[in-house]
Amino acid sequence: MENLDLKREEDAILFDPVERTGKFFYLTLSILIGIILLAIYAYQFQYREGLGVTGLARPIFWGVYITNFVFFIGISHAGTLISAILRLAKAEWRRSITRSAEVITVLVLFFGVGNILMDLGRPDRMLNIIKYSQFQSPLLWDVSSITVYLTASSIYLYLPLIPDIALLRDRNTKRKRLYQILALGWKGTERQHRLLEKAISFMAILVIPVAVSVHTVVSFVFAMTIQPMWHSAIFGPYFVAGAIFSGIAALIVAMYIIRKVYHLEEYLKPVHFNNLGILLLVMTLLWFYFTFTEYLTTYYGGEPIHMTIFWMKFTGRFAPYFWGMFLFCFVIPLPILSFKKTRTPLGTLIASLSVIIGMWLERYVIVVPTLTNPRLPNEAVIYFPTWIEWSIFAGCISFFILLYMVFTKLFPIVSIWEVREGREKSMAEVRERIKAYLPGIGVE
Amino acid sequence: MKLSRRDFLKMGGGAGVAIALGGGFLKWTQPPPPSKLLPPGVERWVPTVCGQCLGGCGILVRVIDGWATNIIGNPLHPVNRGTLCPKGIAGIQGLYDPDRIRSPLKRVGKRGEGRWEPISWKDAIQEVSNLLKELRKKGEPHRLVVLGGRYRGLMRSLWERFLNAYGSPNYIDNQFRWDGMPMEGVFLTQGIHTIPAYDFENAQYILSFGSPLLDSFWLPIHALKAFGHFRRGRPGQRGKLVQVEPRLSITGIKADEWIPIQPGTEGILALGIAHMIIKEGLYDKEFIAQNTFGFENWVDSNGKRHLGFREYVISEFPPNRVSDKTGIPIDTIIRLSREFATNQPSLAIGFRDRPFHQMAVGVLNGLVGSIDRPGGILIPKSVPLNHLPSFSKDSIGQKGLEKVRIDENHSGPFLMDHPYLFAKNSLSGKPYRAEVLFLYYTNPLFSNPHPEIFQKAFDQIPKIISFSPYMDDTTQYADLILPDHTPLERWQDDPLFLNNGFPVLGIRQPAINPVYQTRATGDVLIDLARILGGEVEKAFPWKDFKEVILYSLKGIFEARRGDVFGLEFDEAWTRMLQKGGWWDPSYKSFEEFWNLLQEKGGWWDPIYDFGERERIFKTPSKKFEFFSQSLKGDLHLPHWEESKKEDDEKAYPFHLNIFKTMALGGGRNANQPWLQEIAGHHLYEKWRTWIEINPKTAKGLGISDEDLVWIESPHGKIKAKARLYQGTMPQVVNIPFGNGHLSGGRWSKNIGENPYRLLGLKLDPLTAQPIQGITRVKIYKA
Amino acid sequence: MHRWGMVIDLDKCTACQACVVACHAENNIALIGPEESMKGRTIHWIELIPYIEGEYPNIKARFIPRPCMHCDHPPCIKVCPVYATYLNEEGIVAQINYRCIGCRYCTTACPYTVKYFNWHQPRWPEEMKGSLNRDVSLRTKGVVEKCTFCHHRLLRAREKARIEGRDLLPEDYIPACVQACPSGAMFFGDLNDPFSTVSKLSRERRAFRLMEDLGTEPKVYYLSEGA
Ligand SMILES: Nc1nc2c(c(=O)[nH]1)N[C@H]1C(S)=C(S)[C@@H](COP(=O)(O)OP(=O)(O)OC[C@H]3O[C@@H](n4cnc5c(=O)[nH]c(N)nc54)[C@H](O)[C@@H]3O)O[C@H]1N2
Ligand SMILES: Nc1nc2c(c(=O)[nH]1)N[C@H]1C(S)=C(S)[C@@H](COP(=O)(O)OP(=O)(O)OC[C@H]3O[C@@H](n4cnc5c(=O)[nH]c(N)nc54)[C@H](O)[C@@H]3O)O[C@H]1N2
Ligand code: SF4
Ligand code: SF4
Ligand code: SF4
Ligand code: SF4
Ligand code: SF4
Ligand SMILES: [Mo]
Repeated sequence: MENLDLKREEDAILFDPVERTGKFFYLTLSILIGIILLAIYAYQFQYREGLGVTGLARPIFWGVYITNFVFFIGISHAGTLISAILRLAKAEWRRSITRSAEVITVLVLFFGVGNILMDLGRPDRMLNIIKYSQFQSPLLWDVSSITVYLTASSIYLYLPLIPDIALLRDRNTKRKRLYQILALGWKGTERQHRLLEKAISFMAILVIPVAVSVHTVVSFVFAMTIQPMWHSAIFGPYFVAGAIFSGIAALIVAMYIIRKVYHLEEYLKPVHFNNLGILLLVMTLLWFYFTFTEYLTTYYGGEPIHMTIFWMKFTGRFAPYFWGMFLFCFVIPLPILSFKKTRTPLGTLIASLSVIIGMWLERYVIVVPTLTNPRLPNEAVIYFPTWIEWSIFAGCISFFILLYMVFTKLFPIVSIWEVREGREKSMAEVRERIKAYLPGIGVE
Repeated sequence: MKLSRRDFLKMGGGAGVAIALGGGFLKWTQPPPPSKLLPPGVERWVPTVCGQCLGGCGILVRVIDGWATNIIGNPLHPVNRGTLCPKGIAGIQGLYDPDRIRSPLKRVGKRGEGRWEPISWKDAIQEVSNLLKELRKKGEPHRLVVLGGRYRGLMRSLWERFLNAYGSPNYIDNQFRWDGMPMEGVFLTQGIHTIPAYDFENAQYILSFGSPLLDSFWLPIHALKAFGHFRRGRPGQRGKLVQVEPRLSITGIKADEWIPIQPGTEGILALGIAHMIIKEGLYDKEFIAQNTFGFENWVDSNGKRHLGFREYVISEFPPNRVSDKTGIPIDTIIRLSREFATNQPSLAIGFRDRPFHQMAVGVLNGLVGSIDRPGGILIPKSVPLNHLPSFSKDSIGQKGLEKVRIDENHSGPFLMDHPYLFAKNSLSGKPYRAEVLFLYYTNPLFSNPHPEIFQKAFDQIPKIISFSPYMDDTTQYADLILPDHTPLERWQDDPLFLNNGFPVLGIRQPAINPVYQTRATGDVLIDLARILGGEVEKAFPWKDFKEVILYSLKGIFEARRGDVFGLEFDEAWTRMLQKGGWWDPSYKSFEEFWNLLQEKGGWWDPIYDFGERERIFKTPSKKFEFFSQSLKGDLHLPHWEESKKEDDEKAYPFHLNIFKTMALGGGRNANQPWLQEIAGHHLYEKWRTWIEINPKTAKGLGISDEDLVWIESPHGKIKAKARLYQGTMPQVVNIPFGNGHLSGGRWSKNIGENPYRLLGLKLDPLTAQPIQGITRVKIYKA
Repeated sequence: MHRWGMVIDLDKCTACQACVVACHAENNIALIGPEESMKGRTIHWIELIPYIEGEYPNIKARFIPRPCMHCDHPPCIKVCPVYATYLNEEGIVAQINYRCIGCRYCTTACPYTVKYFNWHQPRWPEEMKGSLNRDVSLRTKGVVEKCTFCHHRLLRAREKARIEGRDLLPEDYIPACVQACPSGAMFFGDLNDPFSTVSKLSRERRAFRLMEDLGTEPKVYYLSEGA
């Protein structure tokens, strides 16, 4: 009995962010808003003056915006995909982390798309993409699969939210109306639960291929041209791997912060970080494997046009970016993640931050050098982003954080009902499952 | 009302204003939808003559609603046959140059300060005539000096007539002589003072001594158009071009072979080649026997023996000597001489050099008989224009005329004027100072080597009046500006000739009404004469300059030669008739002639008479002279003068080579963005002045590509970007002309640097023009 | 059906750039001032590409005038999301500026880098605006533009021929650059007509195309330099 209400005590902490708000929150909020305003100013300036205010020029037609696009879409693979995989794999430890993951996906997708739009010379003609869709264009493939992905993962985020929203509704706190509507009259009956479970696992199965497709087609934007070091068959898997890689990193960072700020040490335990750390380690190696094959094939192909770019990255103007990428994506995270001792929350945090930086650099190193070296000789043009591009980049990140914060203020960032369900049912379930695949257990 | 040039520009909306999208134009769509196809307003194509340089190309200006909207070549004009050079097309930007002078201007504030007050034409002309009357009253009309630049035709006669009537001997021709012009070499060998025609089209082998035919030949289109024909115009026959030059110019790039040579040594190379040709007996013995003088040793009337060309070069210019002067391998020299002698017809051309070096190049043509024959050097017939009628002068005028010219009458063997002596003398006051200076079509404060001397001279001249439509460096320095129409707005005649020697007369007519309050200088002169009255007025019995043109055109009509421009096959026909002694022009009356001229763009006489020796050889011997008797003194044979570098080689280790680009060949096109943007395409250079350095040299100096460097000569220094260019000789640095205007428009003022500020003032004893190519410089990081 | 193509004889070409300026004048290409030019934002629908190889004094240098190749298999059009650039039935790769959203995908996809982007709003001084070519639209900031083979001239020629009630003759349709070329190095015409100058020249021994290995099937042919 008493250990029961003790538990209730515990879960209460999950409601705190929603119910109480400290001034630290408002402080960060205002800082973020400051940065966002700067970004907005920067963009309207660009909107009026044209893309001339960026560092772009012929032949380097794409720069930070496209880099960000690829980068953010990559991050978006954190949530939905991972949580889906874990769900289907019935990994019990997922219960307290899935939501924080799924939120990342839904939010960050907007910034991926946003960057593409901000990169347009004529954003006002955006709708032409629908009016005159030309489906041969990989951009169209992106548009489609990203839309699907966004809808799917929103639903996938929403479904598991319903029971918790219901909880909030019943705890007659503020915003009752909102919760009433969103709860869709959830009573928690057996039938509703069964339906929900079905729906969730259906979505889980659905989003995985969508997610994979998304980053594959993102890679196609490059791979479908005949530009040197873009026109590569492994770009699809390479990008997807990279995406999951950066995704997990992002998730770990998010979790770490939530854990600290909302004192959820009880829910986000070192073991979570350890497990995700192992996942990240796997991805690190996978990333290295892809990068290695990618560059090795180029090197052995030895086509001059490819090699100029190759050497530009290895020893030339882009060496700092390239080796920076290698440092952050591989050299730093690998050791940290390899040892249990360092696979602590802090350790994984450091590794993740490094991976995130590294992956941004990777995208940059894919986009810019190729464009810097067109096939025909061209006057030497050096691209460096202007303050406009930087502040818009900063704005995106701040805005993302802000939205994330707000979410935690509206909904529990850890799925309460799932955690409880875990406590109540899982023991039994797991025993059942183990019985199913191991001999000699369960004979009293 | 006083206002600075800036507000003045603003008044005219000078600041670039975004064009209202759409407006009269088809908006959005490209290509436009058929419905909107035919443009608003009627379109006219006006045939006239391009004024962007001296090429004299016929153009058709597309005029819609009174706006000139495009320029294409006039297909009937034999000079360019419907084609154009980049500058010609940019003529539109010369016409609509937003920084043009919009009305007569009177200086307010200090000289060169650039503060002006617009005044009416009446007042402007009044003011000038008062000045001139003053001078005459003082009995010093000779102190009126006209400095004239590059243009062709009757305007020159008009100026001289005006000066003669008024009473000044001082028309000073300030044209490109310091660059070295072909005249000098031709004069020494053929006694001719005019520029010859080079029959590129029919040559089989062209040996160019630093003549950048494709970069900026002084008649650009003549060379450009000829090149295509020379290379591929003749089925089964491909001409070979060899470019001898210290710098890999565009010409060098397009040539079949580029031979880098120590600057200033092509003279000796030419003689070395002559040596080999003679030694191997490859010269045209017949031609030399019949048409040349001074090849063999000879004895003059009073029994004095003279060394002939043959013996001289054989003894003086053996390949090994030539080789170590020029840095060109012996076997190359031998190969060149054989190629040149055996690929007939062959043509040697080199006018960027001092007289005797030009002569050295010239005699190569003599050796192979490339004189007055297809593919050789031709002396064109002149256009049979009427000379203006003679007139009587009053006593003041007479006295003034009899005064020595301010440049000391010392016209030298080459009958040249001497802008530099003019500058020096009007500074020193001997023989006298200039009181009033007219500037017509020339910009010495920018265009002349060592412009400072003119700056100084002008400081001493009380009144400077410019007729330029543009606020160029010198005009900026004037007291009064009477802006001329630009070429597309005025009447003018343009007599010239083709590479094959055919004389041509292009007619320049107004394509559109004047854009601003400008007036053709010709008309202004006639007005001035009228106001001055008396004999001066009588000397100008014409309403305007157009009448002057009509007057002298009668000469062509009466000469009963040639025909107005026609289609290719017509010409063939005309030619045939004329050969057969017939003359069957497409006009009967003068009116008809005049109308056709305006409609077709001009007149020409498509025949060249070979073998008219009295026309082509005006030397004492009436022959092609290897030994030039036209010169007094004891220098007669083409020889090589080692131009002793004026500055010590230690302190200034590099030879300065100044070159021109196709786009910005002269001083006048710098405010035309289309041309600024294509100036140095071999290095993607644009919108500035750059310095070409050999990469190895640069490495030695610790200079890398795009570094800002100082380039310093004993006479000045300029700062510019260094560009590493493999086509640079290790001990030479190249700088392009064209930019570095201290005044001009928004696209030229203070853009780039003017390399002429690096040059000294050593004058050539023969020509009294600054010697080029002897300046040395040092370079260091800025 | 016509298949328009161009032949450029590099042996005749003088690298004078009349073609470049002619194109500017004909097609209302924006004036990019000094500052922007230095950033590499000039627009040249046709451009002379310098190849300078080797070391002094053994240098191999060439110039190649490069308009749009009007490829028969243009990589640029496949990637355009809005049909703003397309291959028309006469083989001209056209550009619909009023539809272009300025994503610059085509510019990155074109292996010949012949597409240009308007980084700013094109501007002309008041004094010049009336001299713009009324047959060609003005582009706005944020759209891509490139050589159109002076397509508007074809339309005018057609119109003219129609009014005069006759068929289109080869000499009716000549792009501005070809018209200007002083050395007669450029040829233009119908590649489908086996007897046209261009198709004859395109079969010459010296004929080649840029990056033929990419399979883009350019319709601009070059005749190599030298004998
Ligand atoms: N920096 C530099 N100096 C040069 C050269 C160069 O390219 N760059 N070229 C050298 C050579 S080869 C030569 S021949 C000389 C020539 O030098 P100049 O004799 O000065 O000839 P431009 O500079 O072509 O023109 C002189 C001025 O004529 C004015 N002008 C232009 N059009 C008209 C017109 O229609 N009417 C009137 N009245 N005036 C007009 C312009 O303001 C121009 O500045 O310069 C030499 N010096
Ligand atoms: N738009 C426009 N175009 C013009 C003009 C204009 O006013 N406007 N002006 C026209 C006129 S007037 C002229 S005179 C021409 C002048 O044009 P160019 O005749 O081209 O005169 P530069 O370019 O000065 O010629 C110098 C060349 O000779 C080479 N050179 C320098 N020193 C030596 C040497 O010691 N030996 C040898 N062998 N070569 C050497 C240099 O490399 C350079 O290429 O431009 C014409 N073009
Ligand atoms: S060569 Fe001279 S005259 Fe002929 S088009 Fe060019 S600029 Fe005009
Ligand atoms: S105009 Fe003709 S000659 Fe001049 S660069 Fe262009 S193609 Fe070559
Ligand atoms: S050259 Fe480039 S732009 Fe032109 S058609 Fe081919 S791919 Fe398209
Ligand atoms: S930039 Fe314009 S033309 Fe090019 S792909 Fe994008 S929309 Fe199409
Ligand atoms: S064809 Fe027309 S559009 Fe294309 S480069 Fe030539 S002039 Fe420019
Ligand atoms: Mo000149």
